Amino acid sequence: MLSLFRKYSGGLLASSGMDLSMPIDSAPYVVMDTELTGLDFRNDSIVSVGALRMLGTRIEVSRPFYEVVRPSTELTSKSIVIHEITHSETEQKPGIETIMDEFLKFCEGAVLVGHFISLDLRFLAKEMKRFGFGSLKNPAVDTSVIHDWMSQNKGDFSSNYFAGTESKDLFSLAKKFQVPVQGAHNALMDAYVTAQLFQRFISMLIKLGVRTLRDLLRIGKP
Amino acid sequence: MIHEEIIEFLSKVPPFQFIDDAALKSIAQAVSMDYYPKGTVIMKQNDPASDHLRIIKKGGVKVFIASEDGEEVVIDYRGEGDTFGFLSLIGKDKVRANIVAVDDTICYLLDKDNALKIMNSQPVFTEYFLKSHLTKYIDRTYSEMHNKSMMYGGTDRILFTSQVGDIAIRDVVSVKEDATIQEAAQVMCQNKVSSLVIYDKNDFPAGVITDRDLREKVVAKGRAIADQVKNIMSLPLIRVDATDYCFEAVLKMIKYNIHHVLVVRDGMLKGVITNHDLMLLQGTSPLSFAKDIENQYTLEGLAPLANKLNKIIGLLLKEGAKASNITKIISELNDRLVKKVLEIAEKKFGTPPVSYCWIAYGSEGRKEQTFKTDQDNALIYSDPKTPEQEEAAKKYFSEFTVYVRDGLINVGFPSCEANYMASNPQWCQPISIWKKYFLNWIQHPNPEALLRSVIFFDFRALYGNLSLAGELREYLIHNLKDQNIFFARIASLILKNRPPLGFFRSFMVNKDGEHKDQLNLKLSGIGPLVDLIRLFALESAIHETSSMERLHAMKESHPIAIELGEEIEQAFEFINLLRIHHQLDQMERKVPLDNFINPSKLSNLEKKSLKESFQLILKIQDGIEEIYRAGMVGG
Repeated sequence: MLSLFRKYSGGLLASSGMDLSMPIDSAPYVVMDTELTGLDFRNDSIVSVGALRMLGTRIEVSRPFYEVVRPSTELTSKSIVIHEITHSETEQKPGIETIMDEFLKFCEGAVLVGHFISLDLRFLAKEMKRFGFGSLKNPAVDTSVIHDWMSQNKGDFSSNYFAGTESKDLFSLAKKFQVPVQGAHNALMDAYVTAQLFQRFISMLIKLGVRTLRDLLRIGKP
Repeated sequence: MIHEEIIEFLSKVPPFQFIDDAALKSIAQAVSMDYYPKGTVIMKQNDPASDHLRIIKKGGVKVFIASEDGEEVVIDYRGEGDTFGFLSLIGKDKVRANIVAVDDTICYLLDKDNALKIMNSQPVFTEYFLKSHLTKYIDRTYSEMHNKSMMYGGTDRILFTSQVGDIAIRDVVSVKEDATIQEAAQVMCQNKVSSLVIYDKNDFPAGVITDRDLREKVVAKGRAIADQVKNIMSLPLIRVDATDYCFEAVLKMIKYNIHHVLVVRDGMLKGVITNHDLMLLQGTSPLSFAKDIENQYTLEGLAPLANKLNKIIGLLLKEGAKASNITKIISELNDRLVKKVLEIAEKKFGTPPVSYCWIAYGSEGRKEQTFKTDQDNALIYSDPKTPEQEEAAKKYFSEFTVYVRDGLINVGFPSCEANYMASNPQWCQPISIWKKYFLNWIQHPNPEALLRSVIFFDFRALYGNLSLAGELREYLIHNLKDQNIFFARIASLILKNRPPLGFFRSFMVNKDGEHKDQLNLKLSGIGPLVDLIRLFALESAIHETSSMERLHAMKESHPIAIELGEEIEQAFEFINLLRIHHQLDQMERKVPLDNFINPSKLSNLEKKSLKESFQLILKIQDGIEEIYRAGMVGG
């Protein structure tokens, strides 16, 4: 059955082998964030990866994933200002290839969640390809996309949250949904903020009729 | 970073704040975090047992059960730092209550295995959950407060931590009652003791003689040393139990003005404890203060002592004494001052035409005074037998009471603004008038009568012909029997003063004015408890006036005292302690004393204890409302 399913659905989603009829409030997720040397896909690379597992709305705060690596391209002063990871910190670190196995294991069987996650996924895919890791097959959703969808499909209950237009970067949304922010632009702490945002979204989504993983992937795909 | 955040939060929350760092760290490495939007049903009655202990990080929940006819009975509201799901976790039972988020709520979840692991290694953790929250926490709060002001080395603290048996090393030295004074003195010399127990012919201890008896009753009086020792022994035997704290011995020495107290263990005379033993133990202290009072014979000499009293109290407090012990000592020492003033007054005015009894009421009557004590006193005198005697009594007592009032002001008791003093002719009356007052208040419980009865019914004899006060007490108890309308009126008065706890267990504080963001501990906490305990005591025909003694006296007879006596006692101790600490702090900062505290400045544990105390009061008040509803409507 599984192999059949994989074949017909094709691409990233199905090859993860996840049961898409699973209710969104009991499905496994990995909420992740990366910090980069810059935003240029060709010339920049990953400096750190932070991730947290969730089971439904429950964040497994006790087992975070967080690694700083030696980037394969130069750290730029512009990015150092943002993530505060300096040369001396990365110098002694191993390259990203040494943490990839562990990270893939951490993500096993979970839907990936991130804020503007396509950027993180693109950089991850680039690094994985470079070191011959194949591709990350997990389904993924983007909290900014989910937020957009909810704004357009708001029910009465959420009118307070979705009134007006505003910036939808992670920290503006955190503020809006009263998620406390500490240590911004650290990959793990940003993942933690994203996780708490997603935690709140899950219960709102259920009220808007988004019940299964299949529903979630339809509205939240990056 | 996430772990640090969890540890920081837990380290401020009981019971986690009491467990060691390693255990706290292992908890932080085991918890998960969940979010429940407002209205979420987190646990449902009769569901399978919960598999997590939940600690509220933010928000709050309502705990309620649904009765068989579908009625919702709210058991509790829990907020930040509170936990839920424990009972269900350790029992294999179904969930007993519904838990619904009343606000958007974030919880840390500790799974069953890890919770059990912590319980096994950290007894304090289990203890917290298994006993009722209030009763066991109070002791820890004491030590917390105690640590805050640990600036003195241990001196008087020993009074509260050492048992009499530990320091009463002197064996009992005794003689038979038919021994001569000289023989007794020789035995004392041989054994190098300052006291001697006298046994009667049946070998029961009958009395005690001390160095002082030899000095005062023999040498000074020129009594023959061949006289029998039983003629100079002191009666009755004042004793303490070996398991009592030394402080009890000090209290007895102050009270009976003696320096030797017998120590009894398992009903047998085991030793003697002397003021010298206690002095050695703790340096100078309340005892020497009592002696200072005793040695004064003029108002001028007494006056400087009042300030010293406050210093002693501060010291006791800093050494971790319980509130009820401190107020007891304050009362005992204040009593001494008052008695001394009365003695001095008697010397000035001569023997009164009829006997009288000086009584105290209000907090003084309940022995619950703190630093700031107004005069609350009155005088009962024997009914005069002739009009001439009546005239003489009126004249004598009117001058006498004014002198005493001024004397008391002089030694540090400010006069009472509402003029509840014996110098007010209204409160200086023969016993027959007092009986009429009391009866009238009971039978016509208008607001003024109620106000007076709650003040005066806590009266206590202080000096003079104590049997007059005893007679009045008996009269009061007799006439209170079945006075249900009166009790209902008292009850409705009590219900007008609800503790300032808002919905969702937040403190309600003054919104503006001089005491913005503060609440009045006396008015909102101590007052309601005292009033409740008084109501129960009057209903139960209890003679005692102090709230704690009342509670003990009815702990087997009054239904509410049986059920909640211990919690009431702890709540009372706690609020009183908060108040005394607050006043001591004010005294040290040399600002006027009051009863206002800002609850947001309390530690989490103090907040929790205060909330629990307030909740207890609310609970009892609700119970009373139930009982007296009919009377309130009818009356």
